[in-house]
Amino acid sequence: MVQINFSLKEVNCKIVYYGPGLSGKTTNLEVVHKKAPQPSVGDLTSIATEGDRTLFFDFLPLNLGQVAGMKTKFQIYTVPGQVYYNSTRKLVLQGADGVVFVADSKRGKMEENIESLKNLEENLKEHGLSFNSIPVVLQYNKRDLPDVYSVEELDEALNSFSAPHVEAVARDGEGVFPTLKKLAGMVLQSLNDQHSSVKSGSVSSPHSRTTHTPAAEETTTNSTTAVATATTPPRTRATGTRQAAPTKGRRTTASVAYGSSARPRIVSSPRRQKRRQGIVIGMTVGISVVAAAIGLYLSNMLGFFS
Amino acid sequence: MKLGEDKKLINDSDHLKDQRLVFYREDIESIDKVLGDFLELSSSRCNLLIDKEGHMVTCCGDTSSIDEQTVAALVAGSYAATREMARLLGEDEFSVLFHQGKKDSIQLTMIGDRTIMATVFDDQTTVGMVRLYAKAASDGLEKIFEEIRHRPASKVSLDKSFGDSAKGALDCFFAE
Repeated sequence: MVQINFSLKEVNCKIVYYGPGLSGKTTNLEVVHKKAPQPSVGDLTSIATEGDRTLFFDFLPLNLGQVAGMKTKFQIYTVPGQVYYNSTRKLVLQGADGVVFVADSKRGKMEENIESLKNLEENLKEHGLSFNSIPVVLQYNKRDLPDVYSVEELDEALNSFSAPHVEAVARDGEGVFPTLKKLAGMVLQSLNDQHSSVKSGSVSSPHSRTTHTPAAEETTTNSTTAVATATTPPRTRATGTRQAAPTKGRRTTASVAYGSSARPRIVSSPRRQKRRQGIVIGMTVGISVVAAAIGLYLSNMLGFFS
Repeated sequence: MKLGEDKKLINDSDHLKDQRLVFYREDIESIDKVLGDFLELSSSRCNLLIDKEGHMVTCCGDTSSIDEQTVAALVAGSYAATREMARLLGEDEFSVLFHQGKKDSIQLTMIGDRTIMATVFDDQTTVGMVRLYAKAASDGLEKIFEEIRHRPASKVSLDKSFGDSAKGALDCFFAE
C-alpha cells in the first residue's frame, strides 16, 4: 500500500521480489545495493539461515530522490523461495505495490517456476489482489547458462497475463537495473494515474480545519494511507550506510544496532520534579500540624496538673 | 447499472474503507502528544509508530542512533510473524511483544488493527513502568484512530507533473 506523506513530502512504495528457491532474488538486491548511487541506498538487511538461504526476507531501502517535489522511496523486499516457507512469503507480500517475479531459465526448472507463480497468485488473492490489479514484471534470470529455455517457451508457460519481461544474468548484474526500473516506473505510473491532480500544485481538501499549505496537506485514497506530519518536531534521521561492499555471490548482512554513545541521559522530568516538590511540601505541613497538636495537648495537660 | 455490479461496488467500497486511514495535521499533533506523554512518564528513549506494512507514521524521542526505516520494516515483520503464531495457537493476537537486551530493550504494542507502537528503552526505566504507561497510551491512540476511521474521506492529489518527473528521475537513477 503506497504511503503518501504530503507534510514530509514523501511517497513510500513497497516492492517484492518473488520466485522459486535459488532463482536469484537476493542476488538482484545485492546488485542493486552495490550499483545504486550513494547515499540513495541504505543497508541491505538479510534474515537468513546459516546456510545463507533467505529465512524471512531481505530488505533494502532505496531513495529515488525528488519526484515533482516529493521524496520518493522504495522499500524492496525478497521472499524466501523454498516451498516450506509459504507463511512467511504471505506476510512479506502484504501491502506490496509491485512484484518482480524472478524465474529460473535453466532447463528442468519450469515446474518450480510454475508452482511459484501459482503460489504468488494464490497469496495475492488472499490480500485481495491479482496479476491484473498490481504491477508485475517477469525477470528471466540465468540467461548465461548453456541449457536454458527460450524466451518464447518461458513466456508461453509463465506469462499468460502479458506482463513485461526482462532477460537477466543477475550474478553479473545484467538486467537487474532494467527490471527494477521497469517495475518502479509501472508503480509510479499507477500511482500517478490514480492520484494526479487536475490543477498543478493544488491539493483539494473538503476539511476546513486543515490549512491549505503544501506542508500541511492531508489526504486519503482508495488503498492509500496518507500521513500528515507537518507539526512533528524535526528529527535526525540516521542515514543508512553500507556496512561493507557486497562480494559477488555472498550476502551482506547489515546489523541493526542502537548506538549508546552521544545519547542524552534521561533525567527527572519537570512534571516529576513538581510532583516531588508537592509531596515534600505536603509532608512538611502535615508534620507541622501534628507537632502543633501535640504541643497544644501537652500544654493543656501541664495546665491541668498545675 | 446491474444489480450484481452495484453489489460489487458496495463491497469494494467497504473493503477500501477498511484499508483507508487518514491522518490530518491535528491528528499527528494528538498522536505526538500521547506519544510524548508516554515517553516522559515511562522514561523510555523513543517511540516509533509504524503501520503494519512497515512504513513509519511518526516518532518521538531520541532516534538519532536508529535507522528508522530498517527498524520499521523489521518491527512490521516481527509483528506479522507473531500474529501468525498467535493464530496457529488459537489466539486472536499477542497484543504486546517484548525483546530484552543487555542494556536496550524494545516493546511492541499493537494499536488497533493496523498500527504498531515500538518503544525503545534502556536501564533508566523498567519494563513494568513501560507496560503500565503503554496501556494508557494505547487506549489514547486507539481513540484517535477510531475518530480517524469514522471521518469522511477526501481525495488525494499529486502534482500534475509527477508522471513525467518520475520518468526523468528513474532514467537518472538507473543510468548504467
